Amino acid sequence: MSKNILIVDDSMSLRQVVSIALTGAGYNVIEAGDGNEALTKLNGDKIHLIVSDVNMPGMDGITFVSHVKQDANYKFTPIIMLTTESQQEMIQKGKELGVKAWLVKPFKPEQMLDAVSKLILP
Amino acid sequence: MSDRAKNTFLMESRELLDNMETALLNLESDPEDKDIINDMFRSAHTIKGTAGIFGFDDVEAYTHVLENLMEALRARQVKVTPDLIALLLSAKDYLGLLVEEAVLETTIDDDHRQQGEYVLGELTSYLEDTDFASAEPPKPAETKQETKIETTEMVEWKLELHFKEEVFRNGLDPRSFFHYLAKLGEIKKIEIETSRMPRLEMADPEVCYLSFLVILKSKSATRAEIERVFEFVKEDCEIVMVPPVTHIWDYVKGIEKLPAEIYELSDALLSNGNLSLEEMMELIEDKKVEKTHTIPEAKIATQKIKEEKENNPTKIRKAVGLNQLKVDADKLDVLINLVGELVIAGATTNLMAQNSGDSKLLESISSMSRLVEEIRDSALRLRMVQIGETFSRFQRVVRDLSRELNKDIELTLSGGETELDKTMIEKIGDPLMHLVRNAIDHGIEQEDERIKIGKSSKGSLKLNAFHDSGSIVIQVIDDGKGLDRDKIFQRAVKRGLLDPNQEWTDSEIYRMIFEPGFSTAEKITNLSGRGVGMDVVKKNIESLRGTVDIDTNKGTGTIINIRLPLTLAIIDGFLVEVGESTYVIPLDMVVECIELSELEFGATVHNNYINLRGKVLPFLKLGDLFGSPPKEGARENIVVVQTGGQAAGLVVDNLLGEFQTVIKPLGKVFENLKGVSGSTILGSGEVAVILDVPGLVHKAVHEHGAVSVGRGDHSAGLSSTLH
Repeated sequence: MSKNILIVDDSMSLRQVVSIALTGAGYNVIEAGDGNEALTKLNGDKIHLIVSDVNMPGMDGITFVSHVKQDANYKFTPIIMLTTESQQEMIQKGKELGVKAWLVKPFKPEQMLDAVSKLILP
Repeated sequence: MSDRAKNTFLMESRELLDNMETALLNLESDPEDKDIINDMFRSAHTIKGTAGIFGFDDVEAYTHVLENLMEALRARQVKVTPDLIALLLSAKDYLGLLVEEAVLETTIDDDHRQQGEYVLGELTSYLEDTDFASAEPPKPAETKQETKIETTEMVEWKLELHFKEEVFRNGLDPRSFFHYLAKLGEIKKIEIETSRMPRLEMADPEVCYLSFLVILKSKSATRAEIERVFEFVKEDCEIVMVPPVTHIWDYVKGIEKLPAEIYELSDALLSNGNLSLEEMMELIEDKKVEKTHTIPEAKIATQKIKEEKENNPTKIRKAVGLNQLKVDADKLDVLINLVGELVIAGATTNLMAQNSGDSKLLESISSMSRLVEEIRDSALRLRMVQIGETFSRFQRVVRDLSRELNKDIELTLSGGETELDKTMIEKIGDPLMHLVRNAIDHGIEQEDERIKIGKSSKGSLKLNAFHDSGSIVIQVIDDGKGLDRDKIFQRAVKRGLLDPNQEWTDSEIYRMIFEPGFSTAEKITNLSGRGVGMDVVKKNIESLRGTVDIDTNKGTGTIINIRLPLTLAIIDGFLVEVGESTYVIPLDMVVECIELSELEFGATVHNNYINLRGKVLPFLKLGDLFGSPPKEGARENIVVVQTGGQAAGLVVDNLLGEFQTVIKPLGKVFENLKGVSGSTILGSGEVAVILDVPGLVHKAVHEHGAVSVGRGDHSAGLSSTLH
């Protein structure tokens, strides 16, 4: 059984690039365009890891993560957040919520794979 | 990287750039609006972030400056001025070219490139005195080059890991880090230390009580590499690394090489026991000693940022795109095709049920048909897109053109929420662009001229859209000088398009502007007036099964009405029979049906027109037109159809009633065939031809005109002229 990774980002092409890299490494990828859509994907099915952007229209990444942390099914799910250097105060908020893995945009797909393999077992 | 993702990036960037343009234009009228600036910032931000991942460095670098400027705007360190807006618009245009260059591998010509570089330079100069004058965008973090201590022998690292209690709650699993660590070498041993573990019944399963001792055997692993393994957990885990013995001497050598003061300092710290040797080495390796100098400044900076944030709490973002889903257009096309097949299959089933005469079957078929119809409608609605986005593109066009022509023109948009099939939205852009340019160039007068004739100095251009009985009407309305009826008439006569001895209605004369090569403009500008275009506009609209007509008053303005069907995939059709064949007339064009025999006896039928309640109605005999002999004993009917303000009758043998028509395009061979616009499949599996009503009406009216001036009866030769 391949592991399920939920990727939340408003850029469809970013999702596709990440998705190609992750699928190539044997993961199963679920995509969502913002926090609201991502919440609908948390339907009880096992999700092994969440990758979420911070800055999104609709529901932003920080709000989304605060919902995830309140959901008994998903509160232990590892989360990687995508951000840029200019968003220090967002990073601070995210860290307070318990997000420890941060990836600064732009990143290379290999860096994403590397981060994922630190957080979940194959 | 896959082409699909690149294409998505292209599509997405175009969308974001369009948003940016709209935002810029809005910003011009509302320079204080923070939401607009935030929106623009986000667009730039997304493009930059994604471009970086694709490795499109040019796009990334250019967007970086744009993004910085937006940040400076947000921080009110740069003021919104018309010049800046113009500059940002050009920058946005150039960025579009850069994206295309990166994805489609096109080359930007030198003119554009120079212009782009110039704009970049100007933008950078705006940033000079702000806090956002940083030059280079951050590059993807490269692995730092480290001086690796090459040892041929395997060395052993001892790692002590004391995970904190909340580590599970933060989504971190110690096991996965160990698994990753194994990439650096061989994990010789993992010892679990459980002294923090309470009695089992007291233990909280969500809490981590464990510490680990790991022995890693590796040839080349460095401290930094090992630290990177645990970077995500460094706040939730105390890590003590004991380097292999061989390394200690390297560190000692390193300490000796340090400047004298630090050497003394470290010596002192070590000797009075404040630091252990290991901690000392760690400090020196990370150069934390040097970093301590910068910490107070960094603290002040963070404090400043915090205060700023508290003073300007970011507004709650508007819920955009809530409950919306982006779907690949191809997927929708597949769905629509399947629904089309379902409709056809349904019709077949319906036919068979009727032949069987089984009443229960008929009943269930009828409820199924109703559902199929609902599915059809919902599926078609999925493809509907609001026209507003297409409209708002014209803000920029009107702005640029009116500047170029030195006219002051206000564009008003209404009915932007009107929905239209996606394919039509894509194809209506060009014709609309042409009409808008025409209106600005030829329609609306120069300011002084307007004042002279008592109009307001500001010209007005309106784009409007609305639903009207099963079709969509798009209007381009200007308050300019209108069309000159006499001039058009003279020109048409000169070109032999109209007979000067005959009475022509206004609409017939105005329609002349759609003839190929027709222009009354005295001077040709680079925008319009070359006489090409209006015929193309008409052709494009007709290819969408639409019509266009003109309503104009000399001196007060022009309204151009474009009428389009709601969809191109499935229509409500009216089935008629001519000879042995069945034809479909789009139902929204059918006005009424009259039995011909009654009229015949009333002696109101002339060669090819009848007197319908006092009005002249030209008609065509479809039997003659398509060369199919009439059915024996059939009572002929006239179907009155109307399009573009003109009516005509089509004589058919039999009326078969309404029919859901799935439009199947005709092959290339039939492309130039007049009088038919498509085909469909009937429940019986037979093919029926969909009639091109505008073409037929034009034909009928034309024939009628010819007859009324006494040029004889053309109806017999119709089939040959049409084919």
